[in-house]
Amino acid sequence: MSFVPGLGILKGMALTFRNMLRLKPTVQYPEEVYPVAPRHRGRLLLLYDEAGALKCETCFQCAQACPIECIDMGGVDTRDRYHIHWGPAEQYGERREESALRRSGRPVPDATATPFEPIDTAALDVILADEAYDPRHMLAILGRTQEAYGYLPVAALKHISHATGAWYAEVYGTATFYDQLRMAPAGAHVLAICLCPSCTFRGAGRVLAAAEAAASTALGGSSPEGAVRLEATACHGASPAAVFVTLDGAVQAEPTAKGITDLVTRLRAGHAPVGRA
Amino acid sequence: MVSRPWQRLSPAGRVLLPLGVVAGGLGVVFLGGVSSGILPNLWSWVYEALSDNLPLLRFVVAATAVLLFTVPTAFVIIYLEMKVIALQNLRLGPNRQGPWGVLASTLHGFKVLAKEDFTPTGADVPVFTLAPVVVYLASVMSFLVIPFAPGLFAQDMNLALLYFFAVGGLGVVGLMMAGWSSFNKYSLLGALRAAAQIISYEIPLTLSVVGVVMLAGTLSLNTIVHQQSGSFLDWYVFRQPLAAVIFFIAATAEGNRTPFDLTEADSEIVAGFATEYSGMRFGFFFFAEYVNVFILSALTVTLFLGGWNAPLDLTPVWQALGAHPGAIDLGGLGVGLLIALLVVPPILTVLLALPFWMLFTRLRFWQALGIGFLCFNALVGAAVLIWAAFSFDAVMGLLWFLGKTYVFVVIFVWMRATLPRVRIDQLMGFAWKWLLPASLANLFVTALAILVIAQVRG
Amino acid sequence: MTAPETKVRSLDDPTMFVDTPATIYDAIPPYPPRTEREAEFYTLRDGEMLINIGPQHPSTHGVLRVVLKIDGERIVDLDPVLGYLHRGVEKICENSDWHMVISHCDPLEYIASMFSEYVPVLAAEKLLDVTVPRRADYIRVLACELNRISSHALFMGWLALDLGGITPILYGFLERDEIVEMLAALTGQRLLFNYMRIGGVNGDLNHEFMSRLGDWMSHALRRIEDSMTLINSNEIFVGRTRGLGRIDRQTALRMCLTGPPLRATGIPYDVRRAHPYSVYPELEFEIPTREEGDSYARYLLHLDEIKQSVHIIDQVLHRIPDGPIMAKLPRLLRPRPGRAWAAIESPRGQYGVYAMSDGTDQPFRLRIHDPSFFNLQSVGLLSPGHLIADIMAIMASLDPIMGGVDK
Repeated sequence: MSFVPGLGILKGMALTFRNMLRLKPTVQYPEEVYPVAPRHRGRLLLLYDEAGALKCETCFQCAQACPIECIDMGGVDTRDRYHIHWGPAEQYGERREESALRRSGRPVPDATATPFEPIDTAALDVILADEAYDPRHMLAILGRTQEAYGYLPVAALKHISHATGAWYAEVYGTATFYDQLRMAPAGAHVLAICLCPSCTFRGAGRVLAAAEAAASTALGGSSPEGAVRLEATACHGASPAAVFVTLDGAVQAEPTAKGITDLVTRLRAGHAPVGRA
Repeated sequence: MVSRPWQRLSPAGRVLLPLGVVAGGLGVVFLGGVSSGILPNLWSWVYEALSDNLPLLRFVVAATAVLLFTVPTAFVIIYLEMKVIALQNLRLGPNRQGPWGVLASTLHGFKVLAKEDFTPTGADVPVFTLAPVVVYLASVMSFLVIPFAPGLFAQDMNLALLYFFAVGGLGVVGLMMAGWSSFNKYSLLGALRAAAQIISYEIPLTLSVVGVVMLAGTLSLNTIVHQQSGSFLDWYVFRQPLAAVIFFIAATAEGNRTPFDLTEADSEIVAGFATEYSGMRFGFFFFAEYVNVFILSALTVTLFLGGWNAPLDLTPVWQALGAHPGAIDLGGLGVGLLIALLVVPPILTVLLALPFWMLFTRLRFWQALGIGFLCFNALVGAAVLIWAAFSFDAVMGLLWFLGKTYVFVVIFVWMRATLPRVRIDQLMGFAWKWLLPASLANLFVTALAILVIAQVRG
Repeated sequence: MTAPETKVRSLDDPTMFVDTPATIYDAIPPYPPRTEREAEFYTLRDGEMLINIGPQHPSTHGVLRVVLKIDGERIVDLDPVLGYLHRGVEKICENSDWHMVISHCDPLEYIASMFSEYVPVLAAEKLLDVTVPRRADYIRVLACELNRISSHALFMGWLALDLGGITPILYGFLERDEIVEMLAALTGQRLLFNYMRIGGVNGDLNHEFMSRLGDWMSHALRRIEDSMTLINSNEIFVGRTRGLGRIDRQTALRMCLTGPPLRATGIPYDVRRAHPYSVYPELEFEIPTREEGDSYARYLLHLDEIKQSVHIIDQVLHRIPDGPIMAKLPRLLRPRPGRAWAAIESPRGQYGVYAMSDGTDQPFRLRIHDPSFFNLQSVGLLSPGHLIADIMAIMASLDPIMGGVDK
């Protein structure tokens, strides 16, 4: 090639001419997709398994191990009560308090996060055996457990999870979904107020406010000494004249704000129901 | 969005209002013309004025046509460059804008129009603004003498070749203006390199062509092409192979193409003389380069490869097929046809745009005009085909010419894809130490051969 | 607050631009020269000009600013200004775990990040006295050699691109893409692999990787050689690079060059043979050298090295044993207090790390000796006398990666 000047150039041009006619390795993106290796970690996704459940356990190990602290995890409880975040606390003001709370050692108000005390599982075993350890009967199992123990202890949920094979997260999810299943021991008396539209027109809101003030608690909670528990009840299609209020199932005849306030005060003072008033 | 009153018209109103305005204006002009006695004589007055100056008129039309032709040519060559380089790089190039990406260069043209157009601080503004114009004009003025087909050329000068080289040299002035007036050392370097390069390569370029001139006996490009008619063996490339090679290399250097594109070497002095240009000013440089590529290929084809001549004389074939060569001569246009050429396109565009504007009320008026223009182009294409059926000679000549030219354009693009750049001292050394002596030697040998053959023949 | 009226110090015709402040357009700093070198550099004789091949430039291999003193086209003096890509990696490494150091050191030599991960891992293993399982060592060698080939393929394309040829880089990228997809199947990512771990590697070879590797090996060398015929025999390319940036042996040793620039001058120094690490003593390969020491020799040397790397990969695939890929180490690593030097042969030269540990789980100091940093110094020595167009060729042939230069 050194004898003929320009032969190298011509060889190069012949090579590019041949390449012009070859099949191009271009992948036309939206129509064809280049196969991605299974181990490719380029897409940050939360993955689901075959059963459709989320694989992430929110164990925070990845956030803790990440060298540049770029992983920020956040979670919210199923009833929208608690927000939990892990991440560089100095970035977000609101998360600061949450992280501080978590790291402070003070108890975070979450029933399933606090250590649970063991219970006597004899009654529970009977129930489970009766339902044949079938996780598809979860609602029945939980209902009967609540009848037996008065509420659903966390230890019971764990036992049910072990026995039936359902994931604890599922059991917990079912337990917190239904209003009639409660995770905390109930108060002695249950004051239920109907909040359907017709009762609301008749002043159920005022009744509720009075009851909350008198019991020093919010709807769904118990009064501090555990005497009265306020709940909302479903519409029973009751008398169109007044708000539908029940005490331990008994319909109250005087469902006004003043009447309910008196009732609750008496209940708290005496810890004894007055009966049908 | 604020709507203007004329955008709130109903479809009927959109027809009647412009018509009303035009009618009113015409009415005023008519009345004024009739009352002052001008109008009855207007048509004959215009007709006489134009037909008295027919050569001038013809030249104006030719120049306008040539100017208009350069832009689509540049677009086509830009597209070819993008596509061919991509294919040789084992990638696909533009393939999403239009089928096979053919609208890519048009869209690039629009993009370049829409870019911000700024002048750097400290730049010499009049010179800065005029430099792209000078460069573009230098390229476009050379179009006037290129013979596209028998009878299809803008101007047939006796000194066409000399005119061509003279005008091509104006490009250097433009480049120097650009480099000096942008207040930038890179641009200055680029401009100096450009000046040195173009000036050095003009000498081998012109000297290598003198052999052809001696063989043809004339500087007129039209005559040179006529003299290469017959079969392809009459083409001058077989009688002046060295000159062809030297001309091609020097043309590559003249057009600032790789491997001689140091003036715009974008890995050394970012865009060279055009560093400070953006928007349409850069677009002018860009277009000028590609028009230059076309012109240089066209000149190579004209001088050495027979211009619009087919490789073999195919007239018997066409006559057997029933086509009539040479029935319509474009050079003998009547004035009436010329006036029609000026007046008909806008009217046809508007007429073709009206139905779209009326039917599709979401169209803005300029969008409708664009569609009308496209339809008008389709009509013109059909008209050209009809003309081709009647004047086969010119159309075949044009097709051969364009085909051969585009082969060389593709060779230019191919070289750009393949070859790296030479250095400025290697470039100058090559021009002065190799090309210049070679072209001089070619000149002497040609002269000697002509003398000897003339003696031998008697 | 206006800037004080500084006297125009530019020698490029100052009287025309009196009202524009000189500090913006002038490469000469407004303060008096602080060192002799500055005085020498910023004193312009008649006809000389300071031009800035700035950090934003299509071919400075990253963000490198080079201030040139030119006389027409000829370079009189050159001053590289580094630091545009400084990310404070060494300081960050002082505050992170020994494991986190791996992902911080990854982007130092981002084209060949296996090597830049390997070195701190090697240093930590020396401090921990860990025996890496042999399978892990072989996999490391395999990954490193594949990365070396892809880096060299990119180098050759890059050199051609800086000289003006726009095609070879795409051929180089085609080659590199295949290798990089292979490494993505192995490690999970294409560029910054994060694959080396202290005590082994992250994941074992899998089917996807082996099948891609098999496909590639069947045509490996042939395709690279075919692509490079475009420039090897091209007169313009040879004319641009032959005789350019010639370094002789004494200068090379004095400037502490390593890697291909050193081997192109004829000195057969390769860290894999001089200070062997990993399983290289068991593998047979030659150290390619060239005699001329110019850019063309460096370019051809990269081709020879690719051939040797393919040979090494072949041997590794035949010899790889079974076994664990990671040594048993606690999760919280506390190396013994002490210092360790670890060096390997990266595609650019000798890549070293000097690690100082104080017994805690964070390194006390991690000093990174990147080969590009040392190789780039010689640009100042090689360019005066050449033309501007040649600096690109010289710099490209020294193959600097600014990520490593600036850390």
